Amino acid sequence: MSKRILIINRGEIAIRVAKAINELGHISVGVWTDNELEPPHLEYCQEWLHLEGSSNGETYLNQDKLLKLIKENKIDAVHPGYGFLAENGEFAKKLAKEKVIFIGPNEKAIEVMGDKATSKQLAKEAGVPVVPGSTGEIPTVAEAIKIADQIGYPVLLKAVAGGGGKGMRTCFSKEEVEKNFETVQREAQSGFGNKALLVEKFILNPHHIEVQIIADKKGNVYHAYERECSVQRRHQKIIEEAPSPFIGDDEKLRAEVCDVAVKLARAVDYDSAGTVELIMGEDKKFYFLEMNTRIQVEHPITEEITGVDLVANMIKSALSEELDFKSQEEIKIHSHSIECRICAEDPISMLPAPGRVTALETTFPQGVRFDHCLYPGYEITPDFDPMVGKLIVRGLTREVCLSKMRNALKGLLIDGLKTNVPLHKVILAEENFIKGKYTTKYIEEIKPQEKVSKMEGEEAFMIKAVSAEANLRGELG
Amino acid sequence: MRYYFYSGEEEFTVEISQKMSRGVVKEYLVNKRSFYTRALAGKNFGSWDQKSWFKLLKSPINKSTVSNSESFKIYRGYKPSGLFSGGAGTLVTQMPGKVVKVMVKEGDQVKEGDTILILEAMKMENEIKTSVAGEVKAFNVKEGQAIEAGFVMAEIE
Repeated sequence: MSKRILIINRGEIAIRVAKAINELGHISVGVWTDNELEPPHLEYCQEWLHLEGSSNGETYLNQDKLLKLIKENKIDAVHPGYGFLAENGEFAKKLAKEKVIFIGPNEKAIEVMGDKATSKQLAKEAGVPVVPGSTGEIPTVAEAIKIADQIGYPVLLKAVAGGGGKGMRTCFSKEEVEKNFETVQREAQSGFGNKALLVEKFILNPHHIEVQIIADKKGNVYHAYERECSVQRRHQKIIEEAPSPFIGDDEKLRAEVCDVAVKLARAVDYDSAGTVELIMGEDKKFYFLEMNTRIQVEHPITEEITGVDLVANMIKSALSEELDFKSQEEIKIHSHSIECRICAEDPISMLPAPGRVTALETTFPQGVRFDHCLYPGYEITPDFDPMVGKLIVRGLTREVCLSKMRNALKGLLIDGLKTNVPLHKVILAEENFIKGKYTTKYIEEIKPQEKVSKMEGEEAFMIKAVSAEANLRGELG
Repeated sequence: MRYYFYSGEEEFTVEISQKMSRGVVKEYLVNKRSFYTRALAGKNFGSWDQKSWFKLLKSPINKSTVSNSESFKIYRGYKPSGLFSGGAGTLVTQMPGKVVKVMVKEGDQVKEGDTILILEAMKMENEIKTSVAGEVKAFNVKEGQAIEAGFVMAEIE
């Protein structure tokens, strides 16, 4: 029987989720708010609901208002996308009380994995390697220094409740721990409302490797291999690829990484789509970082290499339906995939640059997927994340992907606002990236942003002017 | 027709004129180089040689454009005073033309972006706008008057 599924999200992920709901024969219900009157995701939703209010606190984060809307509109299930209420155990509980299905894992998994200290403890108990460091909150500087001395410098001081790269500092000596302790505490308090800190070993030249998990409600836990997301700025990913070029053809290591992730997911009775994030040092030793109990931004590259529709299977899992596969052996890597996140930001400073899209054209090679929410006239406001699209390529080999991505970037024309497309072009032509030799320090050390030209040459302006003139004369189609 | 791209730090001037069109392909002279445009299947293409074609963005005119890390304002047909030569508040013609319509008189208060007059040049009517706000101190043209390039049409303070 078809279910009425509410998508409490916007932008490209709301479109992606709506597509999956429609494909499965359910009814996709989308929301619009007062500060985004023409949200493109509604094009894919079968029913549109008005979520009154402008700020996110009044809308996408307002649990009471959402619960009222859910009851009034006889919603059977809720898909939270990523961000907003996607990893909010309290909201999942409230939904359960109303007998509304939350499309995500059980509340216990959300809660355990949502806390850095408890998730680390659980990982340890499950025999999953964790970054050496404190097992819980470190209340004093003296204790932080004691642990740092045991595990060896450099160490990372970070907020228990932190995330997104905020509330953390690297310390290379005892003096630096002393200097930074209170600062990080203050950042933790103001950023997350909790000043509790952790101390852990800082991994040199690390790789961000993560494993996609997909599990059903009957205890079957599968993995869909790893992704490497080491190209980051401000601890946020901008390019992801699967499989990881660092793991490369080391199938033993790949199997080990995936097995660990499955083991951890089982330990928390995981029953949805989720991601186990690992940090891997240059010595290929890896440690558990955290588990994201949601569908992630970069899920498409895993869909591209395995052929598994993660969003659809996440919905099937929540509705206690059979998944598209019955054994781990059915999930195989068929190709390589790379994703570039397209953000409304300055390509050099990499800072958000809101604006209005005045023109958009795409000419892509075969094997390109563009998950986005752009259209001419679309306004990107400072209220939301600057990520507006994901350019995803699939090819039999990494080399094929690189060439497809260069072509795809060339064929992606956006005017009216600054985007990081010029930065992606530089990275895709950069020697280290081409060789697959990059760590999470890539942007910091290689500085591809410095090779982005401030603007295009005179010819580009000649073309802009003639386009405008031809448009004015009504000679453009 | 002249197009001015102005970012606050950088500026580009592009001079465009259209040549006789031959069928589906339109020819323009862009900074004295031939450029061709062609609409095809609802999309628009441009070419420097009529062999190698690339997609054109259908950008709205007189708005703004972005080039990598710089945002530019686009001015069509007039060089906004205060931004370029001519000094603040001085409107100077960039090409010979005929005054079609006068929108203000001496002593009027104007604000940035107001149309001061309409100038016909190269068979096109162009709105001449002010980029500064203030009082029209001098207004040196009348309707129907033919003026040369470099003529000071108005001064605004």
